[in-house]
Amino acid sequence: MLIPLLAFTMHKYYISLCEVEYIEEKQSIQIITGLFIDDLELALSKLNNTKINIATNKEPSNIDEYFKEYLSNNLKLTINSKKVEFNYIGREYDDNLVRFYLEVTNVKKLESIEITNTCLLKYFEDQQNIIKLKVKNYHKTFYLDNNNTKGVLNFQK
Amino acid sequence: MKKSILTILSLIFILTTSLAQETEQKTSVQKGHYNISKFKQLNEELPTPNKEHTASGAPGYEYSQQQVDYKMDIILDDEHQKIFGKETITYHNNSKDDLDYLWIQLDQNVRSPNSKSPDINGGGPSALYTPAKFTKTFMGKPFQGGFNIEHVKDINGLDMSYMINSTMMRLDLSKPLASGEKLQFNIKWWYNINDYMAERGRSGYEPFPDGNNLYVIAQFFPRLAVYNNVEGWQNMQFWGSSEFALEFGNYDVSITTPKDHILNGTGVIKNPKEVFTKTQYKRYEAAKNSFDKPVFIVTPEEALEAEKGKSSETKTWRFYAENVRDFGFSSSRKFIWDAMAVNFNGRTVMAYSLYPKEGNPLWEEHSTRVVANTLKVYSESTFDYPYPHATSINAARQGMEYPMICWNGGRPGIDGKYNERTKKGMIGVITHEVGHNFFPMIVNSDERQWTWMDEGINSFVEILAEYKYDSELFPLTKYPKNITGYMSGDQDRISPIMSQGDNIFNFGANAYSKPAAGLFILRQTIMGPELFDHAFKTYAKRWKFKHPTPADFFRSMEDASAMDLDWFWRGWFYTTGNNDIGIKEVKKYHVTDKPTEQAENLAKRYGISIDQLPPSLYLVSEDSKDFTEDIRGKKPEDYSILNSYIEQNFSAEEKPHIKSPKYFYELVFEKPGDLVMPIIVEFEYEDGTKERKQYPAEIWRLNDDEVSKVFPSSKSITKITVDPDEETADVNLSNNSWPKTTENKFENFKKNQIKG
Repeated sequence: MLIPLLAFTMHKYYISLCEVEYIEEKQSIQIITGLFIDDLELALSKLNNTKINIATNKEPSNIDEYFKEYLSNNLKLTINSKKVEFNYIGREYDDNLVRFYLEVTNVKKLESIEITNTCLLKYFEDQQNIIKLKVKNYHKTFYLDNNNTKGVLNFQK
Repeated sequence: MKKSILTILSLIFILTTSLAQETEQKTSVQKGHYNISKFKQLNEELPTPNKEHTASGAPGYEYSQQQVDYKMDIILDDEHQKIFGKETITYHNNSKDDLDYLWIQLDQNVRSPNSKSPDINGGGPSALYTPAKFTKTFMGKPFQGGFNIEHVKDINGLDMSYMINSTMMRLDLSKPLASGEKLQFNIKWWYNINDYMAERGRSGYEPFPDGNNLYVIAQFFPRLAVYNNVEGWQNMQFWGSSEFALEFGNYDVSITTPKDHILNGTGVIKNPKEVFTKTQYKRYEAAKNSFDKPVFIVTPEEALEAEKGKSSETKTWRFYAENVRDFGFSSSRKFIWDAMAVNFNGRTVMAYSLYPKEGNPLWEEHSTRVVANTLKVYSESTFDYPYPHATSINAARQGMEYPMICWNGGRPGIDGKYNERTKKGMIGVITHEVGHNFFPMIVNSDERQWTWMDEGINSFVEILAEYKYDSELFPLTKYPKNITGYMSGDQDRISPIMSQGDNIFNFGANAYSKPAAGLFILRQTIMGPELFDHAFKTYAKRWKFKHPTPADFFRSMEDASAMDLDWFWRGWFYTTGNNDIGIKEVKKYHVTDKPTEQAENLAKRYGISIDQLPPSLYLVSEDSKDFTEDIRGKKPEDYSILNSYIEQNFSAEEKPHIKSPKYFYELVFEKPGDLVMPIIVEFEYEDGTKERKQYPAEIWRLNDDEVSKVFPSSKSITKITVDPDEETADVNLSNNSWPKTTENKFENFKKNQIKG
């Protein structure tokens, strides 16, 4: 049987990986989030009622606008009990993946972080969004899905 | 003065007492332990070798396996999507045991209304329910699937007694079937075929808007379970995920379909003149000489014509398949059929593809060529493909394998256009499923127990076959680093590869990608292609048409290569650990002929004076108190004791070939990861040149956390990188370089983004 990451195989994974790291010296929260291109293509196409190609020669020239909008609607961060916006640094295509680089700046101290990730959940019932959080030597992994879309971590004692 | 002596004395006293305390504490709390070395042999994990599965990993002289032959008459009712069958089974008991009963697999029962399969999956309510999902989950009338067994009779027509436990049927014998005897009996059955697009499944039918169905039919008849000396009867239930364990045998199968259907299946068509038109038959025969490109047997025009009709007449396809473990077939009015011949040392094997027009132009361009390429590459890695054909069927959303035939997804858009990803996916799935002919259809491991043995090994050879087909679309550079994301994940959600297939998290990464990545590392980095390929081929040849176990694979790989790989199997297959090796410290040393403190201590221990030490050179690190500026930059040859030794012991011809290191480095490697791996080091010198050194994994055998190595060099080193090509699945690259790079992946990207 085939399981690899193909849109048409029945047991395909619906998975995304979002790595979040806080770098204190830079007062920065660095986010790298990877999604399967064909899944995101389907989500953006349904959302915009038109076929949106990603990473092909038919890709719209303003594709980053679509990405930015989608991410800001589906990846929400609350830092130290305040909602924050991230900067869209850019994206790269790697095989069947697209990786987004996002950054929250001016975070002097990290007391708590709350991440809501609803990417692709609406279109794939089995979608699982994994969040890997790293703060210095502390690691935490959240497995988010349609039942649970939010991961919260509190550093205050 | 007095005071200071007292202080020193008291210091010494404190030191000695604290030392004594430490030793005392250590002896009182330190406990013994079992052998916890990562290089401990696997004898306790592997089953004891016996005369069927030997210590070398080969089948032993008492190896035996059962044979089961099937004679079947099948009717495919396209009108009502039902299938009817009558089968005569001949069971050959080749084991040394007498059998009181036989176990028969009823895989279709996984879809019966009272199937327990949906009940084993836990989970709370979903965040949202589409209307389709809601009705299916809470309101829907269950699909009336599953086998309807009409009768089980002996050859005299008398009913036999049986009991059905979900997907397994026990056939009770009136008298035990003795070793060496055979038993014949008949089963009559039918079932409703599922619409696999709605119900999911490895078989069923795909309905098209034009009213036609495309059938992919498998696990469709009661099949004997495996009986052997490893599991006894392999009668673990089929929950829908872990696949099959089956015996080899010969199949004589007749399939009756509507007259306008085109069909192919496991085995050779015995009556091609009756089922094809005259022209099609001519093409069918002519294709056997087309070695350079695919040719049509059923043309797109003929398929288009056929799919418009709906014949009420029938025809019967007759198949014969020798030494196969299963039978599958696919049938539809919509099929186009193309073919290409492949030569194996003078024997012709046919590569076939059957697809509806919806698969074009993708399928006519690639499918049959991919089948041919897969057979060639896999044969080079194992043995010549022994069957007469390999067929790729285009079925939406499928990816499933049977002997000689498999179902593969991948279709262009409605406009006939497709992008590179669709093409890549389609080539990937065909290569994977055709590759399964070798693992597990021929090298017939127990899929119900060990998913990795067929999926993992197959996914590994798949990498090589895809690369051969299109090296740009399938570069090798993504392996094995593709697995680091999974291996560095939450340990609570990872199971060892050596776990039964129904009980693993992340099926794909666990049973497909991780074993494939492991074999890739073994081949490219640990063993090297020459040793690996021979050992891998040895395993495949030994277990061709037999039932290997994991131990047979592990043992064969070592037996044929003289490499002790127990540490690799233990770490990669039996644990969930990952690899993280880094460079912790680099110390620079200089040469002197003046004895160091360490040398003095050595002399003291032997009770001799320094002068009595043999004439020697000493390495001094820059931060040591023995270091003096005058030795900086001195070459070993600057010291007369070395020079005179060289003069006396090397000939004039040898002298120019002597290496003359000037810089000495102590490299300290750390290993925060659980796994042991070779250390691959790249040195970059002041003049920009580079050099590599690979230390075997055994370097870790006495210290699992940290090792050091002295590295002599004629040039000053400016940069050191551990595993520069990322060939050991190192999950953390932040400790892989010296001097330490402070930029992570994110910052690198950001920098390039601003530049670009």
